[in-house]
Amino acid sequence: MHVMVEVVGEDTRELDVESGATYADLLAACDVSPHEASVLVDGQPVPEDGEVSAERVEVLRVVKGG
Amino acid sequence: MDCDRCGEAAVMHAAYSGAHLCEKHFRHSLEKRVRRRIREDGIVPETATPEDPVTWLIGLSGGKDSVVLTQILAETFAEDPRIELLALSIHEGIEGYRDESLDAAESLTDDLGVRHETIAYAEEFGVRMDEVVEDDPEDMAACAYCGVFRRDLLSTYAEEFTADLLLTGHNLDDEAETALMNFLEGDVAQMAKHFDASLGPLDERTLTDRHVPRAKPLRDVPEKEVALYARLRDLPAHITECPHASESFRGEIQSLLYKLEEAHPGTRHSIMAGYEQLARQAARNVDRDRGYASCDTCGRPTTGDRCRRCQLLDALGA
Repeated sequence: MHVMVEVVGEDTRELDVESGATYADLLAACDVSPHEASVLVDGQPVPEDGEVSAERVEVLRVVKGG
Repeated sequence: MDCDRCGEAAVMHAAYSGAHLCEKHFRHSLEKRVRRRIREDGIVPETATPEDPVTWLIGLSGGKDSVVLTQILAETFAEDPRIELLALSIHEGIEGYRDESLDAAESLTDDLGVRHETIAYAEEFGVRMDEVVEDDPEDMAACAYCGVFRRDLLSTYAEEFTADLLLTGHNLDDEAETALMNFLEGDVAQMAKHFDASLGPLDERTLTDRHVPRAKPLRDVPEKEVALYARLRDLPAHITECPHASESFRGEIQSLLYKLEEAHPGTRHSIMAGYEQLARQAARNVDRDRGYASCDTCGRPTTGDRCRRCQLLDALGA
């Protein structure tokens, strides 16, 4: 499956993932920890252990500090 | 993925507990953890009455953590006449960055009807962080100067406003990083200080007569969940990283914790559970031989001859 992953504020990558891959797998492919980012599908956060079903996702990094 | 509690679409998965939660139940869960922490730390004194309320000063930077803290405290205690909330923002003299987050702080406190005050390093100390990082007389990271100055002003203004408690938005990741740093640096004295300053239940802390006690009600909540909460509630949080952020050791520890947490979900929680017990023991031992003196220059409590703030201001020629 072909997925466009936009790491917000950074870059957009096109990834090919196997069926059954999770959103956590997309994060791993972008070298982003699931503890420092949320995955959004159509602007809605999704659980990282969910199976990828969207062709386009956004990765929103947590901003440290105040 | 559905919510464990109601079957709606889940917005998050907490690997450390196994929970999948929808927006509504995630919000409830986070708020419950914050309120439980407030109870466990015993920060609402039994002596507080509507006639004789306590004042809580919130350190409000306008970033996600302090915005979420302010929102939840305001909602929890809006109807409680025993608690008066006051938010304090500090402008460190970081062009652009801090101006925007202060707008967020202003907008939030307006919405919530919470009194809000802003102070600046420039007026208080005659320095601005943009210049401090250029000058850098001590050859340190920006955060090392900034942290000393910020803590000093929070304490000073907590006293100025006769606050009974100073609250900050530190989250679980922040605290687990600090715990691990203290451990790896072998700094048992710092663990004891941490316990007495903010970690221990209020009635177990000693030497607090020297400083206004602190509390961190978000310290059981992972950073990512704080960010998610701010986003789901569309709170006016400022989301840009400080241009001077450069704590390299903390950054290393953060990466290490992310890896550990992935391999062993719950690591941050267990680090804190154990650290708190160690810090408690350390605080009990250290109390016997620790003494505070007054800074030769400004008179504030310090463990040496001069406080760190005065040393740094001297080095900066301020």
